[in-house]
Amino acid sequence: MTNSRKLEKSISMSRGIVVFAFNTETVDYVKIADRTSQLASRFMDLPVTLITDHDADPEFRYDNIITIDPQGNNWRDKNVQWRNFGRHYAYTLTPYEDTVLLDCDYLVLDSSLSSLFDTEFDYKLMHHNTNYAGAVYEQMGETSLPFIWATVILFRKSKRAEMLFELVGKIQRNYGYYRKLYNIREGNYRNDYAFAIANNILSGYTLNESQGIPWPMFTIEETIDQVLYDDNFLYVKHGNDARVVVRQNTHIMDKQYLQSDDFKQLVGALVESA
Amino acid sequence: MSQHKEQQGFVSFAINTSAVDYGRLAYLQCLNVKATQRANSYAVIADEATYNSFNNRQLNAFDYVIRLPEGFEQAPFAAEPLVFSLTPFKETIKLESDLLFTRSIDHWWTAFRLRDVCLSTGAKNILGTYSAVRKYRQLFDTNSLPDVYNGLMYFRYTQTAKQFFDLADYVFKEWDLIKMHLEGVDLELNPTTDVVYALTALILGDEAVTIPSMDFINFVHMKSGFNGWSDARSWLETVMHEREGDVIRINNVNQYDPVHYHDKTYATQELIEYYEQRVLARS
Repeated sequence: MTNSRKLEKSISMSRGIVVFAFNTETVDYVKIADRTSQLASRFMDLPVTLITDHDADPEFRYDNIITIDPQGNNWRDKNVQWRNFGRHYAYTLTPYEDTVLLDCDYLVLDSSLSSLFDTEFDYKLMHHNTNYAGAVYEQMGETSLPFIWATVILFRKSKRAEMLFELVGKIQRNYGYYRKLYNIREGNYRNDYAFAIANNILSGYTLNESQGIPWPMFTIEETIDQVLYDDNFLYVKHGNDARVVVRQNTHIMDKQYLQSDDFKQLVGALVESA
Repeated sequence: MSQHKEQQGFVSFAINTSAVDYGRLAYLQCLNVKATQRANSYAVIADEATYNSFNNRQLNAFDYVIRLPEGFEQAPFAAEPLVFSLTPFKETIKLESDLLFTRSIDHWWTAFRLRDVCLSTGAKNILGTYSAVRKYRQLFDTNSLPDVYNGLMYFRYTQTAKQFFDLADYVFKEWDLIKMHLEGVDLELNPTTDVVYALTALILGDEAVTIPSMDFINFVHMKSGFNGWSDARSWLETVMHEREGDVIRINNVNQYDPVHYHDKTYATQELIEYYEQRVLARS
């Protein structure tokens, strides 16, 4: 390869973040994505592409906005509805060679994820989760296998990554079969399960955790009233309770908080201080 | 004339009970050894009744069929220490008959040779990690016995090995006396081979008869509880299983360690025919 062709190849390489957000009757996921994308873009210094539906009216200045038809609904309880079908389209829709695929409820507060692109991989999944109590070990069912957290996925344009996403699509289309094969408890389709199954199959029927993201995700499961921060810590208030945790990328389950003014102010302050 | 006919090989006991045809399990295991191992000589030690139950196909598969002396009908476990004097091999891997290999363990022989006797330690679950479940091993934990399993063990023809099996024989014979010194033991039950070998290892020094640092010398134990599943059901009713070549896939996880399938109904005629075909294809 000549030097000029090497240069051409390096310029064509690109890296970015892809976020899926589809509004439901109960949650404005696009609003949440607008806010968390500011954080992700700022702390990883990467462009963001939003994949959403035709009705969305995003405010954040995304690198790209790709609209698709939403497919299917899921309910966690009567208050939280989400649309998680179609995540497997991320491989074909991403405009980037290297992609960080994020759920919109994931707060990026440092550049640790993008540093993983300095290593060799086709895809990296989040195998482990922690909360205030420590490590959380969860399986897809009582006699099933552990699931992965599709909240954060890193992938490169490669044959193996393409196979992963194609397999996820196949699992989504045949979820009834895979649910029985893997003794999955829940009837709701979950990307966490589909990616765990696809990774299991693609890894020669192993868990292949050693090739995953080498640290656990941190999740706040409780409802949140307010979050404060400094350079080292997050201070999270829940009613009369408060927790201090090391400042790190954080998965927040409380969608109401993510739509609140307090969160909007938090994002603004974090972005400004970065 | 020497009892030893070959340098190395596998040995298992087959003493049929009213519930289990152990001769059939040994036949399946013999086929499995032939299909997966390069060093694959196989000997079965059988009592008179089991010996008489063998058909020609089974007799042709075994390299050696050795008759167990009379007198062990009531307590077949007590015959275990006789393996030292009955094996036709200078070096023996002794197996429980309900254990199958999923790939070659030829390289294990080299590791085994670091000891005269080597018992497997710890039980693995289907994810290939040591099971933390201790409910089956309370007697061991209460009495600080080494966590050994006789499902897979190695010995060779040496003074140390003779000492080990003589001592194990003594523990079997003097169980009524020895059990009074153990906490939490069921006084009505005969000792299991695992308990007897653990006591023997404790007396001889477990460092002399185990290599815990070689964490591959053990097997996947399919007693449901070891895998975190309810004991109310067999694993066969709990999770899927299938085969791909020699690999056994359980609950969608490929098993690369030997599989101690425990539930004897796993040894179906279909499985036997599968391994017959694999042996045929290999030859």
